[in-house]
Amino acid sequence: MTRSVLLTSAAILALGLAAPPALAERILRLDEAPIGEMDPAKGTDYADTVLAINLYDTLVYPRQGGSGVQPHLATDWTIEGPVYTFSLRDDVTFNSGNPLTAEDVVFSFERMMALGQGNSGLFEGRVQGAEAVDAHTVRFTLTEPFAPFLATLVRLPVVDKATVMANIGAGDFGEFGDYASEWMSQNSAGSGPYVAESHDPQTETVLVYEPDYFLDPAENHPERVRYRYGLDASTVRALMARGEHDISSQWLPPEVFAALADEGAAHLVTEAGLTGEYFKLNTRRPPLDDVHCRRALAYAFDYDTLLQLVRINDDTTQGRPMSSALPAGLIGFDPDLPAFAQDMARAQEELAQCAHAPGDHPLEIAWIAETPARERGALMMQALYSQMGFDVSITRTPWALITEQVTDPDTAPHVIEIAVSALSPDTDSLLFNMYHSSMPPTWMSASYFVNEEFDALLEEGRTETDPDRRQDLYAEANAILKEEVPAIYGYELLGAFAVRDGVSFHNLEDPARTYPVSGFNLRFADISVPE
Amino acid sequence: MRILTRLSIRLATTVLVLFGVSVLIFLIARIIPGDPARIALGPRASEAQVEQMRRTLHLDEPLFAQYAHFVGDLFRGDLGISLYTNRPVTTDIAQFLPATLELVILAGIMMIAIGLPLGAISARYRGRWADHVIRVLTLMTVSAPSFVWAVVLVLLFSYYTPLFPIAGRIAETITIPPVTGFMLIDTLIAGRWDGFLSALHHVFLPAFALSLSGIGQAARLTRANMIGTYEQPYIEMAQAYGFSERRIAARYAFKPSLIPSLTIIGLDFAALLGNAFLVETIFAWPGLSRYGVGVILQKDLNAIVGTVMIISATFLIANLIVDLLVSVINPRIRYAERSE
Repeated sequence: MTRSVLLTSAAILALGLAAPPALAERILRLDEAPIGEMDPAKGTDYADTVLAINLYDTLVYPRQGGSGVQPHLATDWTIEGPVYTFSLRDDVTFNSGNPLTAEDVVFSFERMMALGQGNSGLFEGRVQGAEAVDAHTVRFTLTEPFAPFLATLVRLPVVDKATVMANIGAGDFGEFGDYASEWMSQNSAGSGPYVAESHDPQTETVLVYEPDYFLDPAENHPERVRYRYGLDASTVRALMARGEHDISSQWLPPEVFAALADEGAAHLVTEAGLTGEYFKLNTRRPPLDDVHCRRALAYAFDYDTLLQLVRINDDTTQGRPMSSALPAGLIGFDPDLPAFAQDMARAQEELAQCAHAPGDHPLEIAWIAETPARERGALMMQALYSQMGFDVSITRTPWALITEQVTDPDTAPHVIEIAVSALSPDTDSLLFNMYHSSMPPTWMSASYFVNEEFDALLEEGRTETDPDRRQDLYAEANAILKEEVPAIYGYELLGAFAVRDGVSFHNLEDPARTYPVSGFNLRFADISVPE
Repeated sequence: MRILTRLSIRLATTVLVLFGVSVLIFLIARIIPGDPARIALGPRASEAQVEQMRRTLHLDEPLFAQYAHFVGDLFRGDLGISLYTNRPVTTDIAQFLPATLELVILAGIMMIAIGLPLGAISARYRGRWADHVIRVLTLMTVSAPSFVWAVVLVLLFSYYTPLFPIAGRIAETITIPPVTGFMLIDTLIAGRWDGFLSALHHVFLPAFALSLSGIGQAARLTRANMIGTYEQPYIEMAQAYGFSERRIAARYAFKPSLIPSLTIIGLDFAALLGNAFLVETIFAWPGLSRYGVGVILQKDLNAIVGTVMIISATFLIANLIVDLLVSVINPRIRYAERSE
């Protein structure tokens, strides 16, 4: 009896020792305000970008620690006029196990253009066709030379054709059905370092690391990522204080960032993502149809106070001074220009030359209701411009109403504060949408700027392939924007993130590892987390 | 009139009201400023792409034709695709409605289970310290909206004293396959007691925050009604017969006081659907109320109409149930129905 008990106990103990120990999992929990779109052919927003770069790969990627692009899926490329030929890596497989080939690149491009959503507008009318020359060579033929094309390819994630076609539903695209449009919004079909495990648009997307990824991850990279949506600022603060959240979104109010840093729960990092905080001036409505009135507002603007308003604490700020219309790092940016500063004497000089007297026309300043922090900027302008004699009204306007108002210059407010990011490391992706006169009236183009010389410079910048000449062209365009003032260039937006202590956000902590485009630094495999 | 006939008439009225709501919300959704196609596609989309999207959404057709498309699709159970989540609206509603209902039902239960007894105790000990304490507390709960209580409760019981979770419906380590969408039920179906307890742990604080205002209202109403009832001659007679105070309170004073309270609670219960928005936001609760506000801000036409229709239907059904309950509890209504 005793012997059998001993034997049984020994067997149980042995089994217990032989069983593998329970392994702790490295989890990264972070959040973003709006929900993320998983289909890379539909995404446009910040969260969509973050999902795209973690689930999918692109031919090229923004250059780490610099400007321009670097090889990614493409090892090298040749440009002969309008023909771009890319050689692909031959060691990349999709998460499904299928090898990534040129056929997949062609399919991804055609799918994006057929669906006509997301970033397809960047390529529309520019590409005559894409073809697979062989399994690892893909060729794009453009309708005409388009210098920003290479940089624009950071917005063309490559999907697994076989997986997509295995999941198509009924749709309008003939043999392609719905191009798996519904399925792709819930699942991933990429070659990225992560694969989507689940996606709930109101709660979170859960991603799991793919060990066969072709690039090396950071040490202690997260094995599972919970990308949460729509968390309230107070919720994020409480979760981080309890150690239940690792990286905040960049949309927390400055006081919450400051509190998290003060409490010692987190450290702050910032991302300069080629984003300008612009106060768009409606150049079609008097008194701002007169450039002197616009210059008067720009000279009177209190840039220093605005920067104080976005300062989180002594070490971290959400904005840095601008010296022109371009954020630092874009082609045409001149680092030697002095930063904008208030100059009331020159403001009065310009005002004296304006065809409209300040009291002739009321000045409407709108701020976006969903971003309460912007009310302070509007109040500051109201106080300043009222002193100059303008009859200033400020309006809290919901975003949906702003998007409606800006479609007609006659109803659009005189001034709206809006942040605009370059979509790629090319200046064209920022300036053309905002200021070329051919653009439809949207919130990006809400200055309604018309200047033939400027248009010609941007058009030449699109066809010119010589980098030095492009630098000159955009520098010239930049100078026109500074002179014509279609916007007040408030500050360069720095996206701040609260990072829980113990978590290392290498790409934003080391400038040599930072990618220049907004959102591209959130490569989860480059982040180190504790177990 | 028999109860079934009455029920049939109420159901027919409900359908008529829903039709009216559908027309109204269909028109209102289209009056909200903003071009849904442009908002969905973003500012970089070309005019041709925006036009194509408008055609897909039938926005280039007259309003009457758009409504006809909507009704036709509705009868096929198709509410269209949400531009907010890029999924069928029916999928979104099927996923998010149970989360809100779970929260609201639990809040409703708390309103009844806590509010009514508090009111009864307050009336029973009128003028004494228990009455004073309850009156002050209930006045506080009705004076502040649910979202204020949500923030206060999070601060007290999740932040400073980490007794309850801050966000979500269940612990991250527990995965429950969705069957009904009600986490408390699905965990039981899956046989996961740990999951059930975790779900209960997660839902308690948001439901309590949502119910606090209703608890106060129910308690104060019950107290006032019971005090009125205590002044009735039959209570005096019961006292003269020597019945115990407990029996008088529970049987002769509380029950008649329940009818007006129940009617108000019924209305409150339906209103909880609307109040749930901010509570859902604070507790990151993935419910329909939060979804509804999100789709309005995005001018997601299909989702706006679908969400409002579902919330209206829930509101109407809740009212119907309350009416039936009241007629069951109140003998005067029951007898009047029979005599008709």
